[in-house]
Amino acid sequence: MTHSSPQTSNAAKDAPKSRLGLWLTLPAQLLILFVAVFPLLMQLYLSFSDWTPLAGRSWTRAHELWIGFWNYSDLFADPRFWGALWRTMIVIGIAVPVEFLLGLGLATLFMQDFRGKKVLYSTLLVPMMIVPAVAGYMFFLLFQSDGPINGLLSALTGLDVSIRWLTDPDLAIFAVMIADIWQWTPLMFLILLAGLLGVPREQLTAATLLGASPWQRFRTIVLPKIKVIIVIALAIRVIEVFKIFDTLFIMTAGGPGTATETISVFFYKIMTLELAWSYVAAAGLVILIALSILAVAAMYFLPKSKEAGK
Amino acid sequence: MTSIHLDNIVKKFGDFTAIQTMNLEVRDGEFLALLGPSGCGKSTTMNIIAGMETPTHGTVKFGERDITHVPMQKRGVGFVFQNYAIFTHMSVYENLAYGLRMNGTPKAELDRKVQEIAEFLELTAILHRPSAGLSVNILQRLAIGRSAILEPSIFLLDEPLSNVDAAFRAVMRQELKQLQRNFKQTMVYVTHDQLEAMTMADRIAVMDHGVLQQVGTPIDVYNNPRNLFVAQFLGSPGMNLLPGALADRGGDMFVDLELGGSIALKGSDAQAGRAAKSRDVVCGFRPEAVQFDDAGVSLSVTFVERIGARTIVHMGKGAASVKAVFDNKVAVNVGDQTRIAPQDNAIRLFAAQSGESLQVA
Repeated sequence: MTHSSPQTSNAAKDAPKSRLGLWLTLPAQLLILFVAVFPLLMQLYLSFSDWTPLAGRSWTRAHELWIGFWNYSDLFADPRFWGALWRTMIVIGIAVPVEFLLGLGLATLFMQDFRGKKVLYSTLLVPMMIVPAVAGYMFFLLFQSDGPINGLLSALTGLDVSIRWLTDPDLAIFAVMIADIWQWTPLMFLILLAGLLGVPREQLTAATLLGASPWQRFRTIVLPKIKVIIVIALAIRVIEVFKIFDTLFIMTAGGPGTATETISVFFYKIMTLELAWSYVAAAGLVILIALSILAVAAMYFLPKSKEAGK
Repeated sequence: MTSIHLDNIVKKFGDFTAIQTMNLEVRDGEFLALLGPSGCGKSTTMNIIAGMETPTHGTVKFGERDITHVPMQKRGVGFVFQNYAIFTHMSVYENLAYGLRMNGTPKAELDRKVQEIAEFLELTAILHRPSAGLSVNILQRLAIGRSAILEPSIFLLDEPLSNVDAAFRAVMRQELKQLQRNFKQTMVYVTHDQLEAMTMADRIAVMDHGVLQQVGTPIDVYNNPRNLFVAQFLGSPGMNLLPGALADRGGDMFVDLELGGSIALKGSDAQAGRAAKSRDVVCGFRPEAVQFDDAGVSLSVTFVERIGARTIVHMGKGAASVKAVFDNKVAVNVGDQTRIAPQDNAIRLFAAQSGESLQVA
């Protein structure tokens, strides 16, 4: 073409550039393909089959055991799955709000100056850094019927307290939640403290001068400014609760019975004890989709434009 | 309207004394500028008035009422921050309504007042815009409006023009002064910019190193600085200060300057010279009050600044230097030998030791 308008010449210039971009990002894209997309497809593939490690053939030939949506319909009819989901929801509904409120309270406290602040700060962060398995053993020992927690309660009340924390089906979930709160409140505290530190002090002083009480300042200035951080902190913890495993498994192994069996423990047991791998693949996908919907819902709370949350 | 009284205020931060025994009265409906270099204690003074700081000693009174220990949210002062501290997550309307909302004003009244103040400050058109990203002059009006809507009797402004570029400052100064005239509040304005203080204030309070140096009308402080600091700090360039010794020659008073030559003292200057306890003095005169005089002090021109309407001539001899401001027609060049003298009644005498003015007020 001899005659070319500015537009076409621009397009001609852009085309090789975008192709170069593709080549440059190709290694990263391949990596993502193997890290994220491939396992996902593999999981999807298995979830439509009846394959187990005892099926006598490689998983790549799982299509020979094709059962369509059977795993999914089984799953939705499985009371054990719904039980595990329910218990996970209980932890999300009780432990996470408690962690949030404690973390927010501590973070607010750390905005003031007081004696021993630095020591308390480092002490507060310790639980988060303890390996969950070790924390599990710790709480396993603490919660024994003749353990220190009952000992403390006995000393405080003057009665002979022997609560069966880990073996009473109604209480075990609370023992697990107490351990979770102990371990993860510091994370909430850290994230929320970072949020509070980002609230402009001058705006708080301005609000005070305009007659706002501490609670009014919190509601009208602090809360809107840390809203995004709160959403992120809660989202992180909610997702983490779906993955609770090590501490809980060491404390109760999901028991007694299935009293503390949350989603991850349920998956683990089905996989190791019943070897129903394709069933777990289907269940995992369902949870993944549910969490994705949750994450999208959380995005709704994030600011839509740049000016908010400054 | 309310007057502000600071009685024997002392403020210490650990070992550092930010304010040393300060007494200051801001009158009803007055625009007072607190002027001084950075770190002189002017902002601390203002924070004490606002209640952000509690004085180590002394009392703060609004009118007859002792408010030294009244928390800041109960003082009801309007405050405009250096960076305005606008609530960036709210709209212009919400910013204006904030104070009324906090004190539980009924919605209809709140809305009427917001509309009223928005009208007055010409913010009506942008009332429902987000407040982030507005230009500084709008932010300034918004910051003032947000406080003014509560009708405080006292308004405090902390260097509100320091983030504004020079060209715009003149406009903002005018706007601010106009607003004060309309609101008729007692205003305290902290600044390190003497031009702002001179042009807007009814009275100026000059501070340095935590000490209140002088309080007076801009012209009074400019013409009759009480000490060497004020003399040097005010004016651009500041006052010429030449050390010398008083001499009485047959009843006529002179200052024999260290750099050579002498300056005759007349009238009240001569009286002040005679009353001085020590012969060692500093002779001060404004650069604007310098004239060529064949009988005057001999100096050589070291530098000539021609800035449009004015010409600043720098002259010197040894370590001593004198600046003079002339109009732009003056014909001097670097290296010229000149003889200059202060105009009549332009001389200000200071005691060399204490730096205090010798003039009887």
